[in-house]
Amino acid sequence: MDVLTVPGNLDSLDIIGKYMVETATRVGLDKKAAYTLRLAVDEIATNIALYGYERAGLAGMITIRTAITDDTLTVTLEDTAIAYDPRNTPAPDLDLPLDMRPIGGLGVFLAIEGVDEFNYERVDNRNRNIFVMKRPSRVTV
Amino acid sequence: MAFIVTSEFNGDTALMNLTGSLDASSASALSAEVNKAVVAKCQRLVLQVSSLDYMASAGLRVILFAKQKMGSQTDIYVVGAQETIKDTLERSGFDQAVIIMDSYDPAQV
Repeated sequence: MDVLTVPGNLDSLDIIGKYMVETATRVGLDKKAAYTLRLAVDEIATNIALYGYERAGLAGMITIRTAITDDTLTVTLEDTAIAYDPRNTPAPDLDLPLDMRPIGGLGVFLAIEGVDEFNYERVDNRNRNIFVMKRPSRVTV
Repeated sequence: MAFIVTSEFNGDTALMNLTGSLDASSASALSAEVNKAVVAKCQRLVLQVSSLDYMASAGLRVILFAKQKMGSQTDIYVVGAQETIKDTLERSGFDQAVIIMDSYDPAQV
């Protein structure tokens, strides 16, 4: 299991993005799957930094763990920010004209919808956002 | 990768060239340029994104901001988007509200 710990602020998004693309590519996800995983992790990390920490007057870290099995890549973000389950975010109304759309909710929508499985746990006063991507089946020669 | 935006304002058209990674930490640079287009009363926003590697929802929010501030009659073009970015525009329903083009020819629009 790999672990990366970064400060829970927007300056960390770049390093998180690079780390996710590198990890996803290493385990054999194609370009599109690597991108949507990066997008998912980036969106949730953004919300943790902006709403979980900054707007709540808190500071803290985000720890990213990756676990690899034959079939899956699992990425877990852990933080000590205020409790928030992204699954409770109302879905945006994609049918509304753009100039009538409320701002917000889009990032979480793209995150949850973009990965094969999304889970959330609250453990020991920490948020755990869990992303699972299926690995392409290995071709045996 | 750092985000860079350069703009040209020609009459009612604002042409912006986006390079790098557009996420929540870089979106304010693009909003600042869009504000200039609002002040200049531009009616057309052309986003050249062929060198843009990544766009998070923060980028979508700038497009939303542009549509709301420049007016709903404003045409927003997204030109040369990579497949991954097109996919984000489609998944979020933004492909209905912006004009996605492979290349931009002012004579054709």
